[in-house]
Amino acid sequence: MSELSKHGFAPRATGSELLMDLLNESLKVAGGRDCRGLVRFLKEKYLLYARERPGSAGLFNTIRSILNYIRENGCTGVREFVEGFRDRYDKALWAASEVMAKRVVDGDVVMTNSNSVAVRRLFEILVRNKVKFSVYVLESRPGMEGLVLADYLDKLGVETYLVVDSAARFFMKNVDKVVSGAEAVAVNGAIVSKVGTSLMALAASEARVRFFAIAPTLKISLETIYGELVKLPEGDWRLLMDEETRRAMPEKYTARAPLYDVTPPNMVDGIATELGLYPPQSIPILVKTIYGTYPPQLKPLDTLFAELLGGG
Amino acid sequence: MSTIPQEVLDIAEGIRSMRIRGAGKIARSAAEALRIAAEKYQGEREPSVFRRYMAKVADTLIETRPTAVSLPNAVMYVMQAVFRQTSDFDELRRGVVDAANRFIEDSLNAVKRIAEFGSKRIRENSVILTHCHSTAAVSVITEAYKQGRVVKVYSTETRPFYQGRITTRQLLENGVPVVQIPDSAVRYIMHEVDQVVIGADTITSNGAVVNKVGTSQVALAAHEARVRVFVAAETYKFSPMTVIGELVPIEFRDPTEVVPREWLEKHKNVRVLNPSFDVTPPEYVDAIITEVGVIPPQAAIMVLTERLGWAIDKIKQAGLTKLRFEDLVED
Repeated sequence: MSELSKHGFAPRATGSELLMDLLNESLKVAGGRDCRGLVRFLKEKYLLYARERPGSAGLFNTIRSILNYIRENGCTGVREFVEGFRDRYDKALWAASEVMAKRVVDGDVVMTNSNSVAVRRLFEILVRNKVKFSVYVLESRPGMEGLVLADYLDKLGVETYLVVDSAARFFMKNVDKVVSGAEAVAVNGAIVSKVGTSLMALAASEARVRFFAIAPTLKISLETIYGELVKLPEGDWRLLMDEETRRAMPEKYTARAPLYDVTPPNMVDGIATELGLYPPQSIPILVKTIYGTYPPQLKPLDTLFAELLGGG
Repeated sequence: MSTIPQEVLDIAEGIRSMRIRGAGKIARSAAEALRIAAEKYQGEREPSVFRRYMAKVADTLIETRPTAVSLPNAVMYVMQAVFRQTSDFDELRRGVVDAANRFIEDSLNAVKRIAEFGSKRIRENSVILTHCHSTAAVSVITEAYKQGRVVKVYSTETRPFYQGRITTRQLLENGVPVVQIPDSAVRYIMHEVDQVVIGADTITSNGAVVNKVGTSQVALAAHEARVRVFVAAETYKFSPMTVIGELVPIEFRDPTEVVPREWLEKHKNVRVLNPSFDVTPPEYVDAIITEVGVIPPQAAIMVLTERLGWAIDKIKQAGLTKLRFEDLVED
């Protein structure tokens, strides 16, 4: 696929894939009785994610959960805790996709972008349930993960249309529902997802096509309750072309390639979670259901690390 | 009847084979061909015979590229002079040559005038976003930059063909600071943008703008953010056919422009759809900047009737697909 790398084809791991990797690696590190090793490992990961995936709320929530467990219970049973956590997340992801699947009926035309695990599972469930549907997939630059999703749909045997990102509005009038995954859900119901999602949602909203996001509750960014903005990382021309193409461009050529954007709650018709389909404005209710209080008591990750590693 | 000069036939062939390309060049070449045909006319000095000869030339030219808008517009503009009521042959021929020259001159000056008018609409310290590549839009932006009003330009890549890279290159050559973004980042970046300036392939009678796919969602995102949208378009891009309700055909191009052939062959359940253009409704356009002035999109019909009123009457009678200038000649 060297032809494609010319166009900057370089799919990134999805939020859920990274989360599973984090949990699996944590299990390996937590192998012995050395709990401090696990905390140090998590701190390393935390610093890395803060740089590279600052918008991926699920990763930070996972780290916080493991640290809270260690803070309250010490090292005993941390392995089991992480294992349980992993299984619960996997189930939650399936359950969220199941909820979304109920909203897709025979004959529906769905539009989506990027390559979210939750959206892939939605399609798998629909095929299993013998629902007849077709899918418009946006190419999803930078990265072009849409090609990976189209490949997945091809193998599932789903009638699929691959189009450039610019054609979302052109085809919107053929579409019944738009679905996306989520990197994070802000407390006001805004969805952080692959860049272009908000443009697709806007085109859907204009055409009165419903827009849904699939997001297990682990993706709710608790920090946003206290006013934190979800940070959105950006890349440069390297995400849009290969070195050879760059050399053919003028020396002064510069590019900004944002990776995520924010879809405001007024364009979101529903968020499919493992607890059901929620309107975006009801995220505080979800948070209270899960954490017992609203706002939840939240220790910053830096503080937690300092406590557990003794200032280091 | 006098035969069509070889030079004229060469131009027709050039347009057909796409040696002559670009809306402006095609239009000017067609007008030039009609001028040459009039100047080299050797037949009877009788208006009706001359008209029949010119009609044949016009039909030959129009047949070369049936879908382009600028070509029939140029031909109709000149033919208006051919069908003027007069019994004086010399006066008629002079009128035709003048019309052709006027069209060519207007067309050459059009971009300059559009740049002049359009640049006035750009406010101080503006950040501008543009989509695809348009000579008229680049000229407006460059002129406004020279007047010190443009801080930065965002130019979309414009998949699948990356015409945005041409825009970026040209703006850099003109010294304008420009940053490329992927097409998907249009809404993300819109809150930094003050004005959108784009070109057009075709303007319809109700003021809708047919342009490179993605234009309509750029305009939609601008509209949502209350960012103004200006369309730079020469009047020969206004489509008289749409006055009688004709739809502007949207070409679907080869899927291999989007993904390589091997990818397509490996994915039999996937169809790649590659539309070239989309339609931006007039309510998302704040103004169309033409060489005759700045108009609200809803006034497109006025430009059409003023510039091409005669042609529209003929199209109404015959329908464009059946319109043959030879049939219009009365003995």
